[in-house]
Amino acid sequence: MDYWLAALSAAAEEGVEHHLMTCDGCGDRLRGVIALAEELRALARSGSLQVVISDQFVKHAAETGLRVREYAPPRGESVQCTVAADDDLLVARLAVDLTAASRVDLSWCDPRGVEHERMADIPIRADAADVICQQSITWAKASPTATMIARLVAVDETGEERLLGEYTFHHTRTIPGPPGWELP
Amino acid sequence: MYVGLSDAELAPRIAESDREAEAELCRRMGPRIRLYGLRHLRSPSAADDLVQQVLLKVLEALRTARVREPDKLAPFVLGTCRMTVLDLRRSSQRQGELLARFGGDLVPDAPPQPRLDDRQLARCVRALKERERAVVVMTFYDEQTAAETAGSLGISEANVRVIRHRAMQQLRICMGATP
Repeated sequence: MDYWLAALSAAAEEGVEHHLMTCDGCGDRLRGVIALAEELRALARSGSLQVVISDQFVKHAAETGLRVREYAPPRGESVQCTVAADDDLLVARLAVDLTAASRVDLSWCDPRGVEHERMADIPIRADAADVICQQSITWAKASPTATMIARLVAVDETGEERLLGEYTFHHTRTIPGPPGWELP
Repeated sequence: MYVGLSDAELAPRIAESDREAEAELCRRMGPRIRLYGLRHLRSPSAADDLVQQVLLKVLEALRTARVREPDKLAPFVLGTCRMTVLDLRRSSQRQGELLARFGGDLVPDAPPQPRLDDRQLARCVRALKERERAVVVMTFYDEQTAAETAGSLGISEANVRVIRHRAMQQLRICMGATP
């Protein structure tokens, strides 16, 4: 994979290429690596993954022509939101002070406060003003009208949690069609 | 009967215009050249073009006995790949001219690309830890380097490499491959 990603030193890359010119077994393995890399690229670009991303990632996606729908509710407040059929990426910007946090979890709760999902130990930059989370666009397009609450919590070495910020998303379904499922 | 011949045994036969030996060389080297092309040109069609151009150059060199060390045919092919890719990068016009002259003379069959279960892969990626998923998405979305991903996520470049390596191992296992 490092060879395919151009992550090897020049000397190591030369060694790999000499070997690949004589070894079809390793050529077959490389074809498997390429297939995996291509599928991962397609998956990453599909917007269907829930994942913490960077500001540069969002900017680059927009520059390359993707329709990015962003919501940035202030800390402790709520926002009305939806997705359109032609949106490609759905992004939540959660304003937060991360300077004193080492481990941060992102918890997704229903309006009763019941946690439905926890993204544990998300990647953070201490100097960042927000956490950017890509929500699955596939999921959002099929989601019924519902309210979700995102909570950023700092977790210390003993497992004790401290709330860093809470953000409420009132999602309104605007894409017609049967919902197929309901939030509990 | 030529399948079992070594590269060094094929070379003199090609110098004697043995078409079957030429076909065996194309069958043997074509997929290897294509992999080199995919890695360096990032395009299946460009890789196919590279196969044609490199095979033409190698065959011409063998026919005119310009390959001094026939037992080192693979390094010669690799060197020709490198020079051709450099040429392609220098002049896309020249590429067009070469293809106009020779395109279609050599059309090797590309080996079938392995097909993956994309739904299973999505499940496997979702099962990764948050940092691993973030690194995988940023790496493959636009082939970001480890340094770029490190800068985006606020972790060291070495850490990105470790996380990526671990994630890829997990994905291979999850997809049913040997780690």
